[in-house]
Amino acid sequence: MAAPTQISRFDPFMSPPLTSRKPNLSFPLFSTSFTSLSFPSFSLSLSRPKPQTQRSYRHRVHASIRKLSESDSLPISKDPEDLDASIPTGAGVYGVFDANGELQFVGISRNIASSVDKHRKSVPSDLCSSVKVGPADTATPDRMVLQSAWKSWIEEHISATGKPPPGNVQGNYTWIGAPPDIRLTPGRHVSLTIPLEELIDRLVKEHKVVAFIKGSRRAPQCGFSQKVVSILESHGVDFVSLDVLDEEHNYGLREKLKSYSNWPTFPQVFVGGELVGGCDIISDLAEKGELKALFQK
Amino acid sequence: MASRGANVVLSRANRMRQTLQSALEASVLELEDVSYQHAGHAGVEKGANETHFNVKIVSPKFEGQSLVKRHRMVYDLLSDELKSGLHALSIVAKAPKETGS
Repeated sequence: MAAPTQISRFDPFMSPPLTSRKPNLSFPLFSTSFTSLSFPSFSLSLSRPKPQTQRSYRHRVHASIRKLSESDSLPISKDPEDLDASIPTGAGVYGVFDANGELQFVGISRNIASSVDKHRKSVPSDLCSSVKVGPADTATPDRMVLQSAWKSWIEEHISATGKPPPGNVQGNYTWIGAPPDIRLTPGRHVSLTIPLEELIDRLVKEHKVVAFIKGSRRAPQCGFSQKVVSILESHGVDFVSLDVLDEEHNYGLREKLKSYSNWPTFPQVFVGGELVGGCDIISDLAEKGELKALFQK
Repeated sequence: MASRGANVVLSRANRMRQTLQSALEASVLELEDVSYQHAGHAGVEKGANETHFNVKIVSPKFEGQSLVKRHRMVYDLLSDELKSGLHALSIVAKAPKETGS
């Protein structure tokens, strides 16, 4: 059977954040400061036929939101000062198209115009050329309605083109922004009630893939860390990261981790609680095509 | 340490070469000092040299060992250097069978 495609979604009002969804993770010292973004992943099976009951159910739930192919296309203004009055400010589904008319990203929003405006400011302008909108017919639609409309737009696009919009593929952070780095403590003034080593141990066992890097994930401060982050992201790996140079929030981590892992350099990548290696090993595995298998274990 | 005096005059590269060669019985041992590529980046002291190396080793001792194990063997051998200013290594560690020659 074909592996399910992992899809991630821009969903501004869905919480709780990633870390607290797992029951054993409500550990007060890990602050990830997720704001309004979350990364639910859907397994859309491309090969399995859909049961009839599910189809009729879907029809009923979002009969109010039109199909992707039947929705109106609106141009997105290039001028950052120019607010698009034509884009509705209400809730609904939207799909952003690039300059070549290719669908790049499908999102849901409580305020479509504002979401599109945010994308326009954070995403290269040639990727944000026009938008199709599927406004909901009520001011405060149920979240399920929007989610199922989002899902059916994605499925409609997959059945038309064979693949999900690039911005919705898990690990692509162009549209939804990379998750922030995990911080071990709220600040240096906080004394740990648990030994740092145990904290590291819990962290690497509770997250499937953990990368300890120099600098933040969005701005690594070392070429090797940068390379590891880009390899992991380009392989769509769902991972959390920690900045070992952040002495304010991760005080002592850098030295303690070296002894914990018996590995003297950074970056370090853990999978399932085990050290896989640093930049050389990750690059090596990526070249041999063995990375995917490792992360699917 | 009897070799203390000798260490002072030997460069780090030469010390590393000797250590690795004698412990790993390497059939290939290439060391390249790439410190200039990393001069002044985070965590490296100003004016420090011989901080970053590319190492390529082919050794029968790597036979049957995982990549992590092989890298650890190299790191362990060079632990004194890592404590005294060696900052990062890029390691290619192969067993003789894997070199394809």
